Amino acid sequence: MLESLHLDWSVFAIVLGGALVTWMTRIGGPWLIARVRPGRAASAALEATPGAVLVALVAPAALSRPSDALAAAFVCLIARRVPMVVAVVAGVVAVVLLRRLL
Amino acid sequence: MSMDSITIPASPRQEFAVGVVHCLPIVAGAVPFGFLLGSLAAKAGLSALDMGLMSALVFAGSSQFVAVELLDKGSAGLAVVGAILLVNLRHLLMGATLEPRFRGIPCARAGLALFFMTDEQWALALRRGPELTLAYWYGVAATLYLAWLSSTVAGTLAGALIADPTAWGLDFTFIAVFLCLLAGFWRGVGSLPPWLASAAAALAVHALSSGGTWHILAGALAGGSVAALQAKGQGRAQDA
Repeated sequence: MLESLHLDWSVFAIVLGGALVTWMTRIGGPWLIARVRPGRAASAALEATPGAVLVALVAPAALSRPSDALAAAFVCLIARRVPMVVAVVAGVVAVVLLRRLL
Repeated sequence: MSMDSITIPASPRQEFAVGVVHCLPIVAGAVPFGFLLGSLAAKAGLSALDMGLMSALVFAGSSQFVAVELLDKGSAGLAVVGAILLVNLRHLLMGATLEPRFRGIPCARAGLALFFMTDEQWALALRRGPELTLAYWYGVAATLYLAWLSSTVAGTLAGALIADPTAWGLDFTFIAVFLCLLAGFWRGVGSLPPWLASAAAALAVHALSSGGTWHILAGALAGGSVAALQAKGQGRAQDA
């Protein structure tokens, strides 16, 4: 139990550094955008950013194997028709079955 | 007039509760990964206190996986901090899109709330749209924070690799959640070109770079650029 409470100071310094830079990335976005008023093209780019980030987040994993790609397509089909929890559970069940089959 | 159009403003307590509920499917997917991260941290020689402090202060899952991996390899401290920064650079773009929601909120309160901005927090907050309240924000944040902190510490205490989350398809939870959130951003066929550009750029960069999250920045930039070109094209069409 005592080992679990051991604090490694070199690790703690890294944690503090990592915490500071991470927090700066979190507050930096709103801070910057409030000072640089974007024009029409920049606004459109910014508006498209959330969708683009989500696509980029899922694309490599979703297309990593045929079973996952099929399950991802299935989730996309039902996403706008059923509550999110239902779509997520259905997607996980689908991927487990498809991974066994394919 | 339908009953639906008469809305009574929800109390902060109700808003907080809605945030908690919306966060639950995400928690189900995050907890096994917290466990996995904790067990990897134990393997890298981190104590439960080390891990707990990292989860409490950094609170950014993918960057913590990278940091633990680098600590295990014995990388230099500055390299680890630099890697954490690179993995989290995407927050700049995400935060920028939330700026309208934080307008008018005092700096200190916004700075504290934004500390909790993870990918999942950001996506849920954005989906809430102009109705987003700080109470809802903290309902999501508190749930995710407690789940992440406790699961990573428990994983470190348990030590050895508990289980492989991919065996139960739990790794797919994140994909499914993000796809559902993506569906909320569908604005007709005009949404397609930026999304395809993002997917292409992300896949290319992901294939070239081993690990990391450069592909997210690449996808965001590619999608944003295509959307900017679309807007310019529309502007020209209107002028003509």
